[in-house]
Amino acid sequence: MRHKGWLALVGIAVALVTLPAIRHATDFPMFYLIFLSGILFWTAQSTSWNILSGYSGYFSFGQGAFFGVGVYTMAVLFGRQGMSWWVAALAAGIASMLLGLAIGTIAFRLRSLRGEIFALLTLAVPFILASVARLSKAIDGGQGIVIPVPEAPSFLSQFQEFVFFVGGVVALLALTVAYVMQHTRYGWALFTIRDDEDVAEGLGVPTFFHKMIAIGVTGLIAGISGAVAALQLGFVSVEGTFNLDVPLFVIVMSVLGGRGHWAGPMVGAIYVYTLQNRLASGGFEGWSLIVLGVILVLVMLLAPQGLMAGFRRRPWLSAGVFVVVFLGLWLLGVTTDPVTSLAAALGVTAVIAFIPGGRRRPELGEPETGPPQEHHAPVGDEPVAESVGSGRPLLVAQDVVKTFGGVRALRGVSMTVHEGELVGLVGPNGSGKTTLVNLISGVFPPTAGTISLDGADIVGSRPHRIAHLGIARTYQIPRPFTSLTVRDNVAMAIMFGRDPLGLDASRRAAVEYLDLVGLGGRADALPGEINLHQRQLLEMARAIATRPSLLLLDEALAGLNPVEIDNAVDVVRRIRGSGVSIVLVEHLLRVVNQLATRIVVLDQGMELAEGEPAVVMRDPAVVKAYLGRQADAAGE
Amino acid sequence: MLQVNDLDVYYGDAQALREVTITVGSGEVVSIVGSNGAGKSTLVNSIMGILRPRRGRIVLDDQDITRIPGHRVCRAGIAIVPEGRRLFSAMSVEGNLDLGAFNRAAREHYGDSLQWVHTLFPRLAERKDQLAGSLSGGEQQMLAVGRALMARPRLLLMDEPSLGLAPVVVDEVFEVIEAVRGEGVGVLLVEQNVQRALDVSSRAYLLAEGRMVMEGDAVGMANNPELRKSVLGI
Amino acid sequence: MIELQAAVSGALNGSLFALMALGLSLAWGFLKVINLAHFALILLSGYLTFELATATGLGPIATIVVTAPLMFVVGAVIQLGYERFDVSELNSLLISYGLLIITVQVVTNIWTADFLRLPPEINPFSAEAVGVGSLRFPVPTLLAAGFAVVLVVAASLVLGRTYAGKALQAFGQDREIASAFGIDHRLLGVLLAGAAGASAAIAGMLFPIGGTLTPDLPFEWIGQVFAIVILGGIGNVTGTLYAGLLVGAISGLVAVVWTPSTSPFVVFSLVVIALVFRPKGLFPQKGG
Repeated sequence: MRHKGWLALVGIAVALVTLPAIRHATDFPMFYLIFLSGILFWTAQSTSWNILSGYSGYFSFGQGAFFGVGVYTMAVLFGRQGMSWWVAALAAGIASMLLGLAIGTIAFRLRSLRGEIFALLTLAVPFILASVARLSKAIDGGQGIVIPVPEAPSFLSQFQEFVFFVGGVVALLALTVAYVMQHTRYGWALFTIRDDEDVAEGLGVPTFFHKMIAIGVTGLIAGISGAVAALQLGFVSVEGTFNLDVPLFVIVMSVLGGRGHWAGPMVGAIYVYTLQNRLASGGFEGWSLIVLGVILVLVMLLAPQGLMAGFRRRPWLSAGVFVVVFLGLWLLGVTTDPVTSLAAALGVTAVIAFIPGGRRRPELGEPETGPPQEHHAPVGDEPVAESVGSGRPLLVAQDVVKTFGGVRALRGVSMTVHEGELVGLVGPNGSGKTTLVNLISGVFPPTAGTISLDGADIVGSRPHRIAHLGIARTYQIPRPFTSLTVRDNVAMAIMFGRDPLGLDASRRAAVEYLDLVGLGGRADALPGEINLHQRQLLEMARAIATRPSLLLLDEALAGLNPVEIDNAVDVVRRIRGSGVSIVLVEHLLRVVNQLATRIVVLDQGMELAEGEPAVVMRDPAVVKAYLGRQADAAGE
Repeated sequence: MLQVNDLDVYYGDAQALREVTITVGSGEVVSIVGSNGAGKSTLVNSIMGILRPRRGRIVLDDQDITRIPGHRVCRAGIAIVPEGRRLFSAMSVEGNLDLGAFNRAAREHYGDSLQWVHTLFPRLAERKDQLAGSLSGGEQQMLAVGRALMARPRLLLMDEPSLGLAPVVVDEVFEVIEAVRGEGVGVLLVEQNVQRALDVSSRAYLLAEGRMVMEGDAVGMANNPELRKSVLGI
Repeated sequence: MIELQAAVSGALNGSLFALMALGLSLAWGFLKVINLAHFALILLSGYLTFELATATGLGPIATIVVTAPLMFVVGAVIQLGYERFDVSELNSLLISYGLLIITVQVVTNIWTADFLRLPPEINPFSAEAVGVGSLRFPVPTLLAAGFAVVLVVAASLVLGRTYAGKALQAFGQDREIASAFGIDHRLLGVLLAGAAGASAAIAGMLFPIGGTLTPDLPFEWIGQVFAIVILGGIGNVTGTLYAGLLVGAISGLVAVVWTPSTSPFVVFSLVVIALVFRPKGLFPQKGG
């Protein structure tokens, strides 16, 4: 598949370069070149939008802002000041990128900013820019700006050819960036942010950094694309630039084409642009927005993955049908011109895409062949009941207090985990166990007290930093990345963990961790296709793939039947044998008593007892906490 | 009065309850004990219609309530005192009690019900305009019980009423359970504090890993060493 | 004195935006749905008011008799759609955006993009103004403010005093427990959405009275309305009104002290600052 993607890009590049020459030779009407130029422009715009909004899930209504900055930078620098057009285009890209970074700095730092509010804020930005442009004489001042025809290189004798070529370069740039991101850690970080940002952060993904890259790249490409579009327009005005078209079209194109794939927005652009074109030529301009709105609503409700997902399920059938219908209608003269044949062919192919079934393909990655890559993780096979390792203090929590509003969840708890231990953290409901785990993994800071790992204070560190220092955790209700396969979930953790590998190497190394937990046979399944027990094992595999020194297991046995529980116990033993110290939060006391080298009992936010399981569970205070008033039961 | 037969409840593909059968007679106090994760909350949610059982039946007097929508369970005659109270904290004490009597049948007897609740919990009468969120833990628990009683249920479902409360307050709460039983309302008590639960009940069931592993009269179970072994895991 | 006039006029204008924001805020707060289609209903109501008033010669206010029930039904149906497809908050934003685009285009097709204005014979309020001291206010603006206050007070009363209102508050605070006491969330949601639709009809009626109609109006409204929703606190009835007055006053003042085009920027900055320091809105309800 990788090679197919590269082939496609190379093919597009070749076509771009040769088409003007072909046109000279065959003298087909300029109209088709103009038509293709339109598709190239929208490809660039929607692909750039998709990098932020599709890949990372941070929906933006503000594409018009980047486009507008691009347009006006070109208009002012080239149209008015007379700078050379390609310098102006670069400047446009940079200006737009800076705008994106500015928005990101404000928006991505706000903890309270959910995706919906981000979307609404981006709605406002173009309007504000429009006001500024209209107002300021230095920019537009309400008059608009005329843009002269630029000087073109000699092999592109006609203006339209020039526009086609430059637009093609920009589109190719956009597609290449999207393609590269999708196949490297940058894109993958964004996908995990889209699926579950908190979990991604906890696995070591620096989420702020990657979101800034996404918005910066979006701005850069959209700005350059806008600048080139300005060249074609010849005259720009505030109303013509900052209107509804760009933000709406990029959304519909990406939603229709598919937001999870680099080629999705391009497919959507081809569909929507062709549709618009045919509606206009048929005299139905008044219907175009209605049709777009209907497409948006229907696709969101019924097929939110878009067309690409459907095409990838039946690649040969889709391609074949398209070619047959297109060429058939054109060559047989059924339709008056090729664009109508194109529209018809696209329509028929779309129907195929939306039929359920076909070959199941995960959105990202492909089944890997080749030997698993060694990732320096020795696997022990004997069950170990005593402490291994040096026994030095690894995690030290001292007098930790946590208050939520008026509730004191933890009232001064101290706990030390030594290297090689398996500490059971138990206690009745509401005792503060999960709060303590959340504090250690950095989900929120303690109200008071210190927590240190290997002597280094970790209070106040972001979760991804703490992950890099060596603490990993699982969640009581498993939270896998739903759009990645089992293997790729683990690969993610390796890619961003303490010993990062590249994408391919990570995917190969992931197998080792899957084998450790016994999921090797389901490496290419999606999380939705495996059962709860397997998802819990996946949680564990993903956590240990970050190569932690301390693993926090939060109720990893919830909801399992006895057979599954025994299996999970074996897995925990194996993990411990590989050299990871463990804190096990559990309600199932018979299991904790088997596994733990030491037990810490919490009750109502305070430490009640700690020590060997057999001793602690007979401590009268512990018995009372669990059973109630009568401390001694008859028969003991 | 309440009959739960062979209930199988799943969360997705994980089975949370296996063939659970319990009965509560009119005016009886029955306890469900067991550690967390044993399935107590799942049972409560299934009876309240929040979860759909995959197999089994839940019958209240003669009415099969296994699959009725969640908002009809109250009308059928079961009211809940939820785990963690879950009061409408931005509303007043009076407002919470009003809402307890939301369903039509209860609204007809609103005056009587309110008087009864005020008699049981004089402090609620004193604080009727105070915001529910500003009450103390014990008062909140009283209000949660009062709210449920306003619905004039035949069966009161109490989920971990002792959670997060000081022992003295827990005493008060359990006295209320006695009082309620005296009025002919049945009580199904789900509790982590085994001893307290057994003290106030006539019968009890022990739930572990989704199954009913022990049942009998409360006194017998309290003296059974197997009970302690099961809960403490040793 | 210009500043005072600008501020007060601005505040009164802001109350109309608060009226628009009310239905949106309640749906967002209680139903977890961000319904851009609300603007579509306002727009449609405006045009329907225009048509009905010119066709029948009745005063524009009387058209509420038709538009309010109609929009109630439309709002309820859209909510049923959201429930049926189990639409998430973010997706409701996208889908309602699609519905808004469709509506704007349909309106353009039927009524053209020309500016429409109710002729004075039909619109008795158009040219009149009322003086208070040295300040003058156009009657339509006062009318809008009046309706806004009435609706906000009515909504407050319904929420606070009626069983249905209290049930809605309970539902907003704890959906599951509210259901456990017999509150049917589906019915409640549909009724609330219907009421929001009816409020949209009233807001829509005020536009042809106060000025001109054009299909692109919703896009001028969105920014201010959402600013008001966020500043007032999502789901906070009285907060919405206060936020409307505040945003309106600030916009009016800025327009006069600086330039009209700076207003959106100032309001936007306010919203961002509010999100940082007071994410629950500037006017928190007690005990919330």
